Amino acid sequence: MRNYLIFIQSILLGLFLAFGAHAQTIKNPGILVHAADDEATTLDPAQVEAGEGGETVILQVYDRLLEFGPSGPELIPGLATTVPTLDNGMISADGMTYTFKIREGAVFHDGTDLTAEDVKFSWDRIVEMDLPEGQAGVISDIVAETSVIDDYTFQVTLAERSASFLNSTVVSMAASIVSKDAVMANGGVVEGEPNEYMAQNAVGSGPYKLKAWNRGENILLDINENYWGEKAKLAARIEIGAEPDVRVLGLRAGNYDTIETDPSFVADIEGADGVTLHTGGLLLEPIHVGFNLNIPEGSLPKEDTIPTDFFHDPRIRQAFNYAFDYEAFLYGPLAGFGEFNPHYLPIGIFGHDANAPVYGAQDKAKAEALFREAGYWDKGFSVSVITEESNLFADAALVLKDSIEGLSPKFRINVLAVAEAVFDEAHAQNPVEYAMWVKNADPFADPHPYMSAYQHPDGEWGEVHGFANGYRNPEKIAELIDGASTELDVVKRAAMYSELQTLLFDDPMWLITAQEGVTMAYRSWVKGFEMNPLWPRPSLRFSYLDK
Amino acid sequence: MQIKDYIIRRLMILPFLILGTSIIVFALTRIGGSPIGIYLSHEMNPAEVQEMKERFHLDKPVPIQYFYWIKGVFQGDLGWSGVASAPVVDVFPKKFAATMELAIAAGIVAVSLGIAMGTFAGARRNKLSDHIIRVVSVSGASMPLFWFSILLLIVFWVWLGWFPIGRSDPNLFEAIAHPTGFYTIDAVIAGNFAAFKDAIWHLVMPAVALGYGATAIIARMMRSSLIEELQEDYVDAAKAKGLAENVVLKKHARRNALVPTVTVIGLTFGFLLQGTVVAEIIFRWPGLGRWMAAAVLRGDQATIMTYVMFTSILFLIVNLVVDVIYANLDRRVELGD
Repeated sequence: MRNYLIFIQSILLGLFLAFGAHAQTIKNPGILVHAADDEATTLDPAQVEAGEGGETVILQVYDRLLEFGPSGPELIPGLATTVPTLDNGMISADGMTYTFKIREGAVFHDGTDLTAEDVKFSWDRIVEMDLPEGQAGVISDIVAETSVIDDYTFQVTLAERSASFLNSTVVSMAASIVSKDAVMANGGVVEGEPNEYMAQNAVGSGPYKLKAWNRGENILLDINENYWGEKAKLAARIEIGAEPDVRVLGLRAGNYDTIETDPSFVADIEGADGVTLHTGGLLLEPIHVGFNLNIPEGSLPKEDTIPTDFFHDPRIRQAFNYAFDYEAFLYGPLAGFGEFNPHYLPIGIFGHDANAPVYGAQDKAKAEALFREAGYWDKGFSVSVITEESNLFADAALVLKDSIEGLSPKFRINVLAVAEAVFDEAHAQNPVEYAMWVKNADPFADPHPYMSAYQHPDGEWGEVHGFANGYRNPEKIAELIDGASTELDVVKRAAMYSELQTLLFDDPMWLITAQEGVTMAYRSWVKGFEMNPLWPRPSLRFSYLDK
Repeated sequence: MQIKDYIIRRLMILPFLILGTSIIVFALTRIGGSPIGIYLSHEMNPAEVQEMKERFHLDKPVPIQYFYWIKGVFQGDLGWSGVASAPVVDVFPKKFAATMELAIAAGIVAVSLGIAMGTFAGARRNKLSDHIIRVVSVSGASMPLFWFSILLLIVFWVWLGWFPIGRSDPNLFEAIAHPTGFYTIDAVIAGNFAAFKDAIWHLVMPAVALGYGATAIIARMMRSSLIEELQEDYVDAAKAKGLAENVVLKKHARRNALVPTVTVIGLTFGFLLQGTVVAEIIFRWPGLGRWMAAAVLRGDQATIMTYVMFTSILFLIVNLVVDVIYANLDRRVELGD
């Protein structure tokens, strides 16, 4: 009986999916409904982590001095009326001082005027709070001093010349401008302690005002009628935590206007009535396999047979890069949405050299030769790779397993797919107690953050993972990265990054699996659709959209 | 022992039981490792992790962590929920009310439909209508909740667009105060008919999905009890007396058939609460079940700890109440020393 019923119901379900969802009249007029996959953790620019759900809201409710425009990395004025350049004199000749003219007439959502004092307060506040989960380093690593010249002029003096200050610091969600009055009236600024009021409320000057945040349900944004720029056309509602299948069904039914999408949804969405799939461009978050060159003695899982200096040998790292089946990953888990770009400088970022050598295609013969040279072909090895479970990272780890084990029966890759919280804790150790892991990077608009965090021998991760133990010439790599960061001549700077890419091909510290493509599904009635991977996910500014 | 003395004695023991339970539960949550992971991100370096540990006192030995936890409880601080991104104490009452509202609504669906269907089928034994109701009942009891929920979702939300998912129209929800956390009751208190209608409309699909399984159990019990009752002598006597068939059924047989059915109804409430986890996830109902499922998957121990303590305390209190009721109902029951 039960089987019979399920059979009948399966047929009904198939019919509904095949012939249902013909909703063509615009649903939820006047409001943009976006289905997100998870909850924000905070709405405070001083506390938000890069790439976290809170940045989605901060982008809409706060302003920054400059913003990324809709079509790429070009900068457009935000609260600053002009983008500083050497030519317009707002960058000093020595490149150390930046002056920003603040827009007069901009007001916060609580009705108070926004002045240069608020801008200074906002930037100083994040540095003073210096929260571990926040991004204080975006400002404190680069800014020596902030000052108010007059009510509408703000000046920044850098610690050293920087080619990336404008498009990595000024546009950062962490550099959003908050109301000084609102903060001081609600807990003020305390070093090392989050501000609970700011974490759950928003007093910005952006095109949207936070109306309500119902945990696990939705975040409601009202149009800011007093916005200094072009007002938003639609109010917005972010629906939180819908299961992926429910998001897809909701989009097909027209109950959602946009949904957070990944390549695995494409088959369910492609060709659906009234749904458009945007697939242009590439994300700027390289998915990588990391090699640990700083493995503590006796820390590896007991199945691992490699010595702790296994990845010190560049031939081993090269062999892994040659062995990986890039095609299987791109046309499997990524469903073809992406590019072969196994380099830490993504396509679309200044300095990316399309002619620099890359791996990009599996070459078993070269991998075998390198493993033979390194002395592991005959004796084999077993090594574990840790990753989050049930996502693209886990898929990349499985492709790696197939690729390496496909070379020789003596090679073994153990994929440890664990819960996100377990992975985060394991990855945050110093030194890391695993030989390999899979994750991605945060997107940046400038090559320097990629290079300094992920390639520099003394950088954030280079130091933890012991890159100095493995680079053939760590001093040269460091010199090029440091030099490029302060080089204001774009031609010379591009040449430095090109040279770096060649060096890092011979001496890879990562295995970059692919550059994931953009996939975003939305109802066809949404007008003015613009998507920029440099905006926090889902890479949409709701104020541009209409329906 | 007098009931009053017994209650006082049990109430005096209660805090020690709760304290003991909290120690055991706290220790159990730590067996799986530190809960720090829920507060971390991929990009945190070891120094930042250490700062996070210090903030949540997770750098201290487990007994000291417990001390901070219990101190927080006395100060009304149940910890920070990494899943809800808010203090547990702020979120818990709202989620609890949402879940209870759904479970009660599902219970109303199950009881009203179950009794009506059971009576109808029992009174028409082996006729077509009885067979149809039995098929419906069997399908309710045998269909997995998640499958039936998805079916409802596709038909009534995606295809027909009759019923929404989630708990409310946010604008209507925001327009009224929420003194009880029960959206239906709050809407009545606010005198806002649109909000009340919205609350009912959002309840329909999850309540029907959840209540259907229980409906089947109640209907089957009601049917079989009624069939038994209809074969009793008093039914023949009532008919012989000249009472109308309908009166015999409703005033005599059904009333007696309800006795075993009510016992089953009591038991099904636990079944409904269990089912809220699945129904809440599929219908995006912002209740305790969905929150707790996410908390377990992501290791949000502040939330898990609160939930387990809450159910433990509830269980201790219910046990006390049941003991007292038993003693009142049956004087042969002696309350222990």
